[in-house]
Amino acid sequence: MKKLLGLALGILTAIGGFVDIGDLVTNAVVGSRFGLSLVWVVAVGVVGICLFAEMSGRVAAVSGRATFEIIRERLGPRAAGANLAASFAINLLTLTAEIGGIALALHLASSIEPRLWIPVAALAVWLVLWRVKFSIMENVVGLLGLLLIGFAVALFLLGPDWGELAAQVARPSLPEGEHAASYWFYAVALFGAAMTPYEVFFFSSGAVEERWTRKDLSQNRLNVLTGFPLGGLLSVAIAGCAAVVLMPRGIEVSSLSQIVLPVAQAGGTLLMAVVIVGIVAATFGAALETALSSGYTLAQYFGWSWGKFRRTVRAARFHLSMIVALLLGVGILMTSVDPIAVTEMSVVFSAVALPLTYVPILVVANDPEYMGDHVNGRVANGLGSVYLVIVLLAAVAAIPLMIATGAGS
Amino acid sequence: MSARRRLIDARLHLLDRQVLDVDGEPVTTVDDLEIVGVDGDAAPGEPAHVAAVLTGPVLVTRLLGGDPPPSRWLRVPWSQVGHVGITLDLTVRGDSLDLDWVERWVRDHVIGRIPGGAHDPEEDVDS
Repeated sequence: MKKLLGLALGILTAIGGFVDIGDLVTNAVVGSRFGLSLVWVVAVGVVGICLFAEMSGRVAAVSGRATFEIIRERLGPRAAGANLAASFAINLLTLTAEIGGIALALHLASSIEPRLWIPVAALAVWLVLWRVKFSIMENVVGLLGLLLIGFAVALFLLGPDWGELAAQVARPSLPEGEHAASYWFYAVALFGAAMTPYEVFFFSSGAVEERWTRKDLSQNRLNVLTGFPLGGLLSVAIAGCAAVVLMPRGIEVSSLSQIVLPVAQAGGTLLMAVVIVGIVAATFGAALETALSSGYTLAQYFGWSWGKFRRTVRAARFHLSMIVALLLGVGILMTSVDPIAVTEMSVVFSAVALPLTYVPILVVANDPEYMGDHVNGRVANGLGSVYLVIVLLAAVAAIPLMIATGAGS
Repeated sequence: MSARRRLIDARLHLLDRQVLDVDGEPVTTVDDLEIVGVDGDAAPGEPAHVAAVLTGPVLVTRLLGGDPPPSRWLRVPWSQVGHVGITLDLTVRGDSLDLDWVERWVRDHVIGRIPGGAHDPEEDVDS
């Protein structure tokens, strides 16, 4: 059990990246429109985030420096400032969407209007940030988020034609009536979700919060290799459910209740209840991850003291920035925007933030001044360079694809 | 220090590095450096040297250009820097420095006034 709890950081990080509210919907949309023909993108994304999260965790464990500190140190104030602005925008938009998502999920369970749940959800997130110990937070939220495994259970209960599903995975093809640009838009969106920068900000800062040292390097690797593949698996399971139930009927996913439709059909009320708890926990976890990330990035850029391991009065500006981020998020939601549409805008900012985050990580992971003899090996460097090219391609393609397809519609 | 001389590149090893106080608490980032002796501030013939680590408004002028008046510099004299590694380690406590006034203001006027602000998260529950 203790071993399992030690993996909570990786699991919570991955949940925030792969199955936050925006991705829950994206995965179901992808499943209902393209079947499992985009699973390869998730696989590529999982390998990429494993690679760079492992590096960022290793840098944090060996040198004690979290990711945004090394971004500022290597890129200087200008480029790091551009990354800070873009990353803060992604954090804020995602945080906004998650608070809205918690409200939507609670609406699903209670049928009380979502708008009434918004302040409650934000207050609950803040209370956890304010009072709850980091390790308790990650364990409770991470493990409850695992209830999303219910989607995988539902997929088995549905008893699909596995040969047909395997064929979709192995030989991706464009379903009739779909445009190639839409396919590639969703490919970039899924890749961006897998590699979203707040995962490494949160993961490396979490490693500092948990006071990892050189001794924890195997723990680091284990966290990465469990958390992210699990996140990818959940994301594929959600797409699979949609592919089996929604795609043949031509149902287009536009709301949270449609995502859980296949689960209700396969496992009845009980499984549905399990999955809803999972959705609330996953969105809550993603809200915590993005709120903390907004504090981490600001504090690390400016050199403020930060961290939940300190008394709140000893990290005053860090806590103030998270409070401001939460208030901004609630403010945006009160204009009654669709919280899920909000996350689509973060694709634009990812184009700036992705390369400016992963380049410095790769550079510092090779710097013996920081890393001693724990510098990158040849495989990590080779793969890392390949992924930088992929990241750049995705970053360049993202905005034109978004405009050309009207965000996939 | 050992007899072996270390080469320090100001841009690579000093600028934008994290500054920690004597207890290892983060204080600021090196936003700029005050160098004395290049423009005749020191006696002719004397070598130029780093006089202080600067922070605060100098970050804005480093981003946008310009020159803030020295009265607005928030400085840590170089004599208080104990060690240059992947961080700059000071020999004094952060609380004793003027440049930490924003952190202290936020602590005293905002965060400290919210109930539970002084609570130590590592103390309760398990342990």
